[in-house]
Amino acid sequence: MIIVKDEVSLAELKKMGGEIFGDLIKAVVDVERGLMAIGGELHSDEEAFLLQDGSHQKNLWGINLYPEILTEEWIEFDSVINIRPSQGNYTRSVDDPETREKIIRIINKLVKK
Amino acid sequence: MKTFHKELSAGRWFELTFFEQMANIGSEVIRAISWRSKNNEYSRRAVERALELLGLTIEDEKNKSKPSRLKELTRLREVLIDYFYFENQFGSTENTMKKYFNSFAFAARRKT
Repeated sequence: MIIVKDEVSLAELKKMGGEIFGDLIKAVVDVERGLMAIGGELHSDEEAFLLQDGSHQKNLWGINLYPEILTEEWIEFDSVINIRPSQGNYTRSVDDPETREKIIRIINKLVKK
Repeated sequence: MKTFHKELSAGRWFELTFFEQMANIGSEVIRAISWRSKNNEYSRRAVERALELLGLTIEDEKNKSKPSRLKELTRLREVLIDYFYFENQFGSTENTMKKYFNSFAFAARRKT
């Protein structure tokens, strides 16, 4: 598992995806710090990794990246860690559109295509 | 056969609670359903990941030692295989799958 603070190339993501699941990479994004953890087998592993690195849970959101997909569908908002009734998020997705937009902006900044 | 979850297969999966295990299996099942109409390959891989995790869950001593839970897990495996690979004779639907697994997901995250 690694924390991406600056940049990661799409090629690196493809390689990483191929090594684990073949098509997707699980990622957890910190919308406050503007970084993400990738390379874990579970989102909760990446969540714990970021919490140990100083993140706060309320800022962490789980997504999946599909590097082979060329449309905006390459970001999938789906993770068990997103179920957070205390924050009003009752589904596996990211229900708040502003938070989704933040995540998309951070991914676009961090992933060099 | 490829092992997707190498670290989890090596023992870490057994450290998760039953609810966490089911929630994670559910994620893959619902992912498989979601990709079914868009990308068969992605859907197939998600099913395989789900079955891998379900296999580990069945092997987990804390589940194996409870007859009713073991029965549910082995039936679940049969239902999933029937739904994704055969004739769906048990009449599962996308909705019933989601409802079934969503309850575990909520239980797993209850304190957050």
